[in-house]
Amino acid sequence: MQETLQTLVGGLSLGAVYALVAMGFSLVYRTMGLVNFAHADIAMIGAYTASTFYLTVRLPFAAAMAVAIVVTGAIGLVIERVLRPLENKDFDLMLIGTIGFGIVLQALAIIIWGTTGRAVPSPLDAAPFTVLGIRVRTYDLLVMAVAALAVVGLGFFLSRTKRGAAMQAAALDHEAATAVGIDVGRSNALAFAIGAGLAALAGGLVGPMLYVDASLGGALGIKGFAAAMLGGFGSIHGAVVGGIAIGVLDSYAAGHFQGYSVLVTFLVFTVAIMIRPMGIFGERTVSRA
Amino acid sequence: MKAADTGPAGTLTVEDLSVHYGGVRAVGSIGFTVAPGESVGIIGANGAGKTSTLKALMGLVPRSGGRITLGGRDLTRVRARDMVRHGIGYVPEGRHVFSGLSVEKNLMLGAYSRPWNDGTRRRLDEVHALFPVLGEMRDRPAGALSGGQQQMLAIGRALMAGPRLLVLDEPSMGLSPKLVGSILDVLLKLREEGMSLLLVEQNAKLTFGVTSSCVVMENGEVAMTGTSAELSRDPRVREVYLGL
Amino acid sequence: MKSRSAALVTLIAGACVLPYGLGGYTIHVVDIALIHALLAIGLGLAMGVSGQINLAQVAFFGVGAYGVAVLTTHYGYGFWAAAALAVPATVATGLLVGVPALRMQSHYLGIVTLGLALGFINWITNARITGGADGISGIPVPTLPGVDLSSEYLYYYLEVAVFALGLLFGLFVVHTSLGRRLRAMRDDSLAAGAMGAEIPYLRMTAFVLASLYGGLAGVLYGGLIRYVAPETFSIGNMFILLAMVIIGGRRSLVGCVVGAVGLTLVREWLSDFSTYAQLGYGVVVVLMVVFAPTGLAGIPARVRDLYRRRAGHHEARAELRPFTPYPPAAPATGQPVLLVAESVTKQFRGLRALDAVSLTVRAGEIRGIVGPNGSGKTTLFNVISGFYRATSGTVGFAGDDTTTARPYALSLAGMARTFQNLRLFGQLTVRENVLVALDRTRTRAIWQYAVWQPGVLARERRLRARADEVLERYGLTDFAEADPASLPYGIQRRIEIARAMAARPRLLLLDEPAAGLNGEEVRQLVRIVRSIRDTGTTVVLIEHNMGLVMSLCERITVLSGGRVIAEGTPDEVVAAPEVIEAYLGDSDLTEAGLPQPPTAEEVRRTEEAPS
Repeated sequence: MQETLQTLVGGLSLGAVYALVAMGFSLVYRTMGLVNFAHADIAMIGAYTASTFYLTVRLPFAAAMAVAIVVTGAIGLVIERVLRPLENKDFDLMLIGTIGFGIVLQALAIIIWGTTGRAVPSPLDAAPFTVLGIRVRTYDLLVMAVAALAVVGLGFFLSRTKRGAAMQAAALDHEAATAVGIDVGRSNALAFAIGAGLAALAGGLVGPMLYVDASLGGALGIKGFAAAMLGGFGSIHGAVVGGIAIGVLDSYAAGHFQGYSVLVTFLVFTVAIMIRPMGIFGERTVSRA
Repeated sequence: MKAADTGPAGTLTVEDLSVHYGGVRAVGSIGFTVAPGESVGIIGANGAGKTSTLKALMGLVPRSGGRITLGGRDLTRVRARDMVRHGIGYVPEGRHVFSGLSVEKNLMLGAYSRPWNDGTRRRLDEVHALFPVLGEMRDRPAGALSGGQQQMLAIGRALMAGPRLLVLDEPSMGLSPKLVGSILDVLLKLREEGMSLLLVEQNAKLTFGVTSSCVVMENGEVAMTGTSAELSRDPRVREVYLGL
Repeated sequence: MKSRSAALVTLIAGACVLPYGLGGYTIHVVDIALIHALLAIGLGLAMGVSGQINLAQVAFFGVGAYGVAVLTTHYGYGFWAAAALAVPATVATGLLVGVPALRMQSHYLGIVTLGLALGFINWITNARITGGADGISGIPVPTLPGVDLSSEYLYYYLEVAVFALGLLFGLFVVHTSLGRRLRAMRDDSLAAGAMGAEIPYLRMTAFVLASLYGGLAGVLYGGLIRYVAPETFSIGNMFILLAMVIIGGRRSLVGCVVGAVGLTLVREWLSDFSTYAQLGYGVVVVLMVVFAPTGLAGIPARVRDLYRRRAGHHEARAELRPFTPYPPAAPATGQPVLLVAESVTKQFRGLRALDAVSLTVRAGEIRGIVGPNGSGKTTLFNVISGFYRATSGTVGFAGDDTTTARPYALSLAGMARTFQNLRLFGQLTVRENVLVALDRTRTRAIWQYAVWQPGVLARERRLRARADEVLERYGLTDFAEADPASLPYGIQRRIEIARAMAARPRLLLLDEPAAGLNGEEVRQLVRIVRSIRDTGTTVVLIEHNMGLVMSLCERITVLSGGRVIAEGTPDEVVAAPEVIEAYLGDSDLTEAGLPQPPTAEEVRRTEEAPS
């Protein structure tokens, strides 16, 4: 029992990070129908940028994060602009295009930051505390709190602001959105920038939890994708639930299967998604041929 | 609902409009006018190019040629998203409501091109007065409405921007005769209030009940034009409706 | 043709003498390039030809290589015995990885296959049997009597032989029945299903092919390097492999090979600047995707097109010739019931598209289904042909309950259809479009590809001859090699009917066959439909054009708001007040100033009057 709870708590903080990745991913998917395979590498760039401004420039952690979000938001805008001609045309090509961008971002990271990674110390030096016999790291609580804030913030933006409503409208029906006067291109670009910012947030937060190197995106990204899929592509709630599910699954697999945790996580994920391809909150889109 | 709170309505003129899809002609050089307060119908068989004409007018599909003016102002180069700012509201074929959003949000988005303020609220009340069901269902997701309710929502959404000209593509599609009747009543009311209407329609009762003149399209071209009264008696128009 | 065979001979000769001009390191690079080329062919077959996003190709490569390594070093197998087991093991892995493709496509499939590849990498990095991060060394040299395969020069010849066979087999698959179906599935899996392509088996076949090439490449890699370690099979390398296929041209196997060999050589040449090189491939992939989606392989065709357009060059005028009627068959006796729908309801969220619709069609009938737009006609077709599953109610075809049957099963049982919005296979020629439907062999007959290729070729010749007959009959011979999307609408409609009839169906469903056709084309259509019925094929057609339906159909079913509001002969239907109301909005026509609808008798007179 104790052990299970400990695993659960460990999984929740990683799950919160996966949820952030999945949320950004879902936002872009929902507005543009684009599966952004570079999303993971954007998170990695975010992690590096945040750690550089935190460790080298010695900005406060929060300010370093803000810089990372702005930088990656700009990268998101560039990707959106370049791939815009393919929108609503060839889905698979767009997907491969984003993989191309991922390759570019990884190479850039190595050119800028080198091949050796870096460990980022936790910005909170408070010691872990124990509740009901479960050790809780304070940084984990911070991560969960920031993730929760991001979820609430994004929810508020999408449902309570004019621009957020317009973004959803553009996603649901770009022709009708155009007819009511929404600039669909700009709305999509904004969605892309916000998605990239969320990836940077995830990357920046995960820095003190994992080791930051060019391959960080791979691990973080694919689990983030898996989370988005498990929750239901394009659903913000789904991204949160999927993220936590993958985080807990991951932490459980790490506890019980040690080295094989990735294999176990993806096998379980594959079986789950086979049973319910539309995810938990997704709508049925799989066609019958 | 007052039409034209963005200024006096002008005449819509469409000249030599043509549309090609990948080298294949869908619409070839068609022209017509809609005078202020006038209601014009475009009729024709499936595949005659009616929807393409409306979409090209709205800038939603690229035009391969043509000129569009409204009240003397040249709208040929105006982008699709700015047409609404020139007073043209569009109700697409098949409604195209924002299915995941609430009825109220759909209506508010109709007024996206204007600041959201007390005027928007007032307009929302006017739309609710015109379609009481939209007020009753304001918090329901639009996708959960019936076909008739969605059609009313699509019209209401277009009205939220306060257009001078309303462009409607097959508002009767998939609706029962009774619902077609209520759509007819609404369009008649809008016409009385001075709104210009451009209507693509398959339902003869709706078309001839609302419009004063019609354009008959065939294979992407204008086959005939005339007053609705004349056309409704023309045996060739029966071809369109009963396809003889 | 002559220049082609000359080029081929030069190529073979070049391949044979190549090692004589190369240094020891260069030949090593060439050996690696050939292995990548095999991998790229496999990826091209899955992604470019079959449209299955497979991001686990690098894992297939790994299973082949690790299979050989483990079997030789741990279990003492000889190299060839190990290879003979490793390749089937890879194919088995391919089948497993392909299972998700049965449930999901596109990006979903991409993420799942990528996840499984990561799982594989995780396993080889940690398992004891795979030597963990250190990998396995000491794989024995493959033995071949009289040839020392430890020499990379001689190993080159082994590789060239395997590669040449692999490429030939790949090209053979792509250009015959199996490849045509795979390509049809890629272009439009719904239409392919409706033409009888067994989509689930074909998706698995795509993964079998990808893993077969992956396994072969892995085995060759094991024999060449004689050492395997996890970093060779990383996700990064998966993406480089993807870059090879995209840059070369995913739809052309030769393009994939060019991309693989080219990128391997460039990578080696730039190995001192590997990070910048990586940046370069990334940029090239993005540029290719946006500006040249067909890759290097597609450039010649694009240049040719551009040149033609510049020069205002036009081919000899192709024309649509008249349809040649089928020889009439003896009319069916007894007219058994062929199609029954019983109180079929289809609900889409808030919308009830079909509401307890019942329909009975007898063999030899031409049945019209009419109704205003949005009345549920196409939904009914989609339920009958297996695209949608009815929310309630049953559908029976030719005596069987087919309520839950898949489109391909219905096609094989003798049902064919056309689509309102034209669903021709865009990347196939007109002849190939017809061939897809004409080819009634089942997917399980693909064993012939493995053991009896001449049989495949002989069948292919017979099919082609029959395709030419179909094209001839429908007056389409001039367009046999054309790209369907470039043809006028009326011709595309004709191709759809020819394609559906190529399957020799017992029941033909036509969805608005007259939409967008001009008067003469509609008259041709009437002739075609009558002739089709006279061969014994039952026809059900949806049409908006009442005149066409009245002159063509013996019985008419009228739908409105998802319900059947009338059924009967044209005379009965046209007089039914419900129909007048549905079509004209109100039974009181004088109010709208409309004349009374004509009787069916008048209709027939108008139709048969000389025009």
